[in-house]
Amino acid sequence: MANKSVWSDNRFWQRTAAWVTGFASILLIWLTFDTSAQISMGNDADLKNGVTKRVPGPTVINYKISYEMSTKRGHEVPYIGGNDGKGGSLFKEKEKFFGRDDYSEKEAGDLLHLGKLGSQAKNCMDCHTLMGNGAYYAPDLTKAWLDPAWGPEGSMQAVTGKSTKEEAMAEFLQHPELYPTHARMMPNLGITAQEAKGLVAFLKHLSSIDTNGFPRNFGKIQGALNGK
Amino acid sequence: MFEQFTDVVPSFFGWLNQGPLTLTIFLHTFIILPMFWIYSQEKKRLEQEK
Repeated sequence: MANKSVWSDNRFWQRTAAWVTGFASILLIWLTFDTSAQISMGNDADLKNGVTKRVPGPTVINYKISYEMSTKRGHEVPYIGGNDGKGGSLFKEKEKFFGRDDYSEKEAGDLLHLGKLGSQAKNCMDCHTLMGNGAYYAPDLTKAWLDPAWGPEGSMQAVTGKSTKEEAMAEFLQHPELYPTHARMMPNLGITAQEAKGLVAFLKHLSSIDTNGFPRNFGKIQGALNGK
Repeated sequence: MFEQFTDVVPSFFGWLNQGPLTLTIFLHTFIILPMFWIYSQEKKRLEQEK
């Protein structure tokens, strides 16, 4: 009888398949729980106590959010309420959002909820990208709040005749057809003033989420469609 | 290959994924090493059967 090779032996392949499938299943279950810890939302107490969460609580809309290069992490990182100079957020500097910086957890949560429902009802992802989901027909909105075009140095406040970022964004959302920014003009989606406020709150919260530097090169590509 | 952990939320997979290829090498190691063991066991069994 000729020598039978292990490679042509059924049992070897059965056991290998069982091992790979079993290991992968355990790994996927572990990763699921690992991820849920990563993406669970913080709360107001975290922000007040200076606890860094990847997804901060809704009351982050009361704080100033900046986007700065972290040499330690090798990409830009959202800083909430200032930079503590050691690679973390300071959670001190507040910023008025529609004239207030004292939204309660409930009020801020309701605004975000309205904004999130609005973003789904108006199908933002048909053209825009949020957290990697959606289309690249229109600019990526993951860090839209931090886009300098809406800041005091940018053009959008002057164009819309508003003096703050949130008011300029809300005005644009309600009447995008009046402010054509480039050839791919955003259509008027019938967004109400309250919905626009919610959407801007939603975008501000979205920008405060630490996405490990995604989207890459935000604000650096000049002249590209998404170049700010 | 192994760099200082800099992610916001500490996690085992976050640490493994810090450098290029670290996660891939880890997973391949854990999947392929037991295959050598399975191979040697099966080889022994085939030789005994013979």
